[in-house]
Amino acid sequence: MKKLDRYGYAFIAPFWVVFLTFSIYPVFLTLYYSFTNYTGSQGEEVVGFANYARLLTDTYFIEAFVNTIKIWGINFVLQIGLALALALLFSDLRLKLKGLAFFRSFFYLPNLITISSVALLFGILLDWQHGSLNMMLLKLGIISDPINWLSQPVTAQLSVSLILTWMWFGHSFIIVMAGVSGISQDFFEAAHIDGANRWQMFTNVTVPLLKPILLYIMITSLIGGLQLFDLPLLLTDGIGAPDGSLNTMVLYLYNQAFKYNNYGYAAAVAYGLFLITLVFSAIVFKGMFRKERAAQKGA
Amino acid sequence: MRKKLVSLLSIGALSVGVLGACSNDEGSSESSNGKDDVLKVWSFTDELKEPIKTYEEKNGVKVELTIVPIADYPTKLKPALESGVGAPDVFTGEIAFLKQWVDAGYWENLSDEPYNVNEISDDYIPYVFDLGKDKDGNVRALSWQTTPGGVYYKRSLAKEVLGTDDPTEIGNMMSSMDGVLEVAEKMKQKGYKMFPDEGAIRWFSQGANPEAWVNDNNELVLTEDKINYMDYAKELREKQYTALAPEWSPSWFEGMSKPIKVKEGGKETETQVFSYVLPTWGLHSVLKDSAKDTAGDWAVTNGPSPYFWGGTWLGVYEGSKNKEAAYDFVKLMTQDEEFLTGWAEETGDVLAYKPVTDKIKDDFSDEFLGGQNNYDFFLDQADEITPGIVTKYDQQLDTLYGASVLQYVEGKKSKEEAIEEFKKQAKNAYPDITVD
Amino acid sequence: MEQNAESRRMLADSEVQPPREEKPLRVLPPSKKPKKKWFSRGLIYTGLIILTIVCFIPFLMMLVNATRTNGEIMSGFSLIPGSALVDNYAILSDYINIWTGFKNSLIVAVLVTLLSGYFSAMTAFGFAFYNFKGKNVMFIFMLVMMMVPGQLGLIGFYEISKTLGILDSFIPLIIPSIASPFVVFFIRQYTQATLHVSMIEAARIDGASELRIFHTIALPMMMPAVATMSIFTFIGSWNNYLMPLVLLFSPEKYTLPVLMGFLKGSQVAENLGALYLGIAISVVPIMIAFLFLSKYIVSSISAGAVKE
Repeated sequence: MKKLDRYGYAFIAPFWVVFLTFSIYPVFLTLYYSFTNYTGSQGEEVVGFANYARLLTDTYFIEAFVNTIKIWGINFVLQIGLALALALLFSDLRLKLKGLAFFRSFFYLPNLITISSVALLFGILLDWQHGSLNMMLLKLGIISDPINWLSQPVTAQLSVSLILTWMWFGHSFIIVMAGVSGISQDFFEAAHIDGANRWQMFTNVTVPLLKPILLYIMITSLIGGLQLFDLPLLLTDGIGAPDGSLNTMVLYLYNQAFKYNNYGYAAAVAYGLFLITLVFSAIVFKGMFRKERAAQKGA
Repeated sequence: MRKKLVSLLSIGALSVGVLGACSNDEGSSESSNGKDDVLKVWSFTDELKEPIKTYEEKNGVKVELTIVPIADYPTKLKPALESGVGAPDVFTGEIAFLKQWVDAGYWENLSDEPYNVNEISDDYIPYVFDLGKDKDGNVRALSWQTTPGGVYYKRSLAKEVLGTDDPTEIGNMMSSMDGVLEVAEKMKQKGYKMFPDEGAIRWFSQGANPEAWVNDNNELVLTEDKINYMDYAKELREKQYTALAPEWSPSWFEGMSKPIKVKEGGKETETQVFSYVLPTWGLHSVLKDSAKDTAGDWAVTNGPSPYFWGGTWLGVYEGSKNKEAAYDFVKLMTQDEEFLTGWAEETGDVLAYKPVTDKIKDDFSDEFLGGQNNYDFFLDQADEITPGIVTKYDQQLDTLYGASVLQYVEGKKSKEEAIEEFKKQAKNAYPDITVD
Repeated sequence: MEQNAESRRMLADSEVQPPREEKPLRVLPPSKKPKKKWFSRGLIYTGLIILTIVCFIPFLMMLVNATRTNGEIMSGFSLIPGSALVDNYAILSDYINIWTGFKNSLIVAVLVTLLSGYFSAMTAFGFAFYNFKGKNVMFIFMLVMMMVPGQLGLIGFYEISKTLGILDSFIPLIIPSIASPFVVFFIRQYTQATLHVSMIEAARIDGASELRIFHTIALPMMMPAVATMSIFTFIGSWNNYLMPLVLLFSPEKYTLPVLMGFLKGSQVAENLGALYLGIAISVVPIMIAFLFLSKYIVSSISAGAVKE
């Protein structure tokens, strides 16, 4: 076996060659810039840890961190909840729902449009005076004055969360369904013979077996979510209005780098974000693995 | 084939290792590819298409125009200019990035031999020529246009409410901010709205004594006029002088030619918008497109203070291998009398080159503006603009200040809090400038 | 498209075993309370259809707007098609050759999908079935590197492409897809739940080479995961804007999103109808392809599940 294990290197070699060239090198260049006062054009000076010192006391970065977690968190709960609920319905034998392919394709559609079109669309829908949403609510008599959704921190953040859910629940659903389909029928049959009901089957068979897939969704959504920036950038003034509530970490990074030309500081922000992501991912991994082991023992 | 690819890639990886050790000595003036007979021009609109045709016919040089949307323009331009690979010979710059690029030295120094543009400085509208200078006073970029602003209003509403539609008389009524508010009150009495939204008056926030956002000592300057602007904006909102239609929103466009609905204080009313604060180009690329139904009912006059909004400059890339042909193109665009005369007549663009404007300004009239000579009006406005107050910080500081003002207008922050927030933001964006 | 063997095989597979009923589980006896079942199913379908409409509306708006004039679009929202489709197309083709962009996008997206699928499966296989030194460190390092925000890597990426002399070509758009950490991660996770070492050992005893084992045993079993990721990879590449924008200089090499950006900067932008038509032309084919392909991919997913 030992000898064969060397083949492992061969199998992962192409990946690493490309990865080192096109991903790692740029990333380390960024690391270097984070120790300089680089402004995007040549002639930077090394400034040591000055950028990092500034980062630690930067209230805007902390604000951005809190906002990002809030927006992503709400979105994630809704998105994964919806995806699991749909998976529960479609994998239910008694319901025999038809048209899985049809629904799954349509649920995925919002993810096909580029983000700028999404922002444009919701900008029109959520418009204060003339948006379709306010028009509808006014007609139904739910509100008497139009709500300026994107000018109040709470509704603005909620709007972004919901748009993200709309964009991504189909994606999560596809992945969950792929995972469900990969589960051997035997498990379900066995559970059925044991007299498990729908819910028990779902919590005791489906979810534990989906652990690796759920971990994948969680981690990728976390990484993606912490890097949220294009929606907030396009929905309001691009610097986080209203009152800084849409100022996310990468939006802040983006503004520091490309609007204010503090490229060096932006690089430090990037590494700050990187560390935060790392910590969060570690927590997720740990939590998942502990449960996974417990589940394996139980099975 | 796959094998070959892999081996190719490992060579690539090797050279990365070498590169990592000495990544910064990569020169910046490596040439673009050897096709010297093709002149590469980059811009963010397609308005250079016509001039390029003229240029190709005149000089027999083929031109390749690349258009990049404005939002991505700096992202695309920067790596190319920094490395010189695939870079253009001529590129344009919008006012938003102009100062920064001029200082970065991406454009050739036109004050030097063989260009010597300083000799013709008197031919240009002062502020336009001035904006193309870098921090050492060398000219890096020129512009063919000038973009002073005015207030476009609907003649029919003016007659009904103010008793006249004469641009001079209405200009006199609006020669101060208080005058503007008086007119706004009169409009309100008749059920009309003065402006689409309070952001319209931001261009007058400079007041009578404009100063740069950041002075020579690198200090942030928040003038009395700019602070007063906050109150004017709030008054417009609170007294319901506006149609609550933010710039570029669908309702903003709609208000140009149609009555629009405004929902305020629990009731919906239908109203019309009296005026739009827009510069020269607002006529051709905004109003004429979106207000076709009300053509002829418009006129343009002055607001409380002169201002300018936007503008495109162009220059020769410092690393270009084709500088002579490149400068020929710049010259055509900014100094060629025959071409510019045709250009002005065709597009209605207000030019910055005086030898041409002097010739054509007297017999201009625009049907859309009820026959008014807007050319003459705008040239007068352009001459009143104070040169030398544009800094590379303007674009972002204006945005930051606007956001703070909005907080105050919407009642979420007190005036002091809003100003404090602005200063904090400014300091954060530009640690180098001194904020009191 | 000669290189397209993989996806052709996939299609062929599903043609042989046509429309497999898509219920992942089909062993249970029918329920005993048909009436109540009927009611709750009706409710569920209603909910699903509402959700479908919510997801489809923007596309409908886009399609409808592509047939309307600028003035009509400005004056408000409507779901009734206009009659300006031909005019809009004329305006659009005056400015760009959208079909060239289409071809470029297709070339890039297909190659990216193939490379990413194949090499990610290979990498995931390496990580999942061999115990070599540094394996865990490497896997974690790969995951960690996914977490660095990409926005700042752009300059470094440009520099390396410049050094390799591959600017203004499709290579820097295609080759980096060989290293797709997310895809590797997913396939490995999937494999953990479905593929067992025993099968590989059995093949080894039969004397198969490692590469052969990968190609004949592991890859087919990974196909559902690879296919699922391929959808995302393909769409991601199709919509990729920033990279081609920065890396391509020659208009004849522009991909669709870059052409769309080009449109936004031109006078077509003043004609919203033509702009929507452009967007529609770039989105509709992939939408259709997706709606159809996803059916096949579903079959291959269930196929993979059954092969155990």
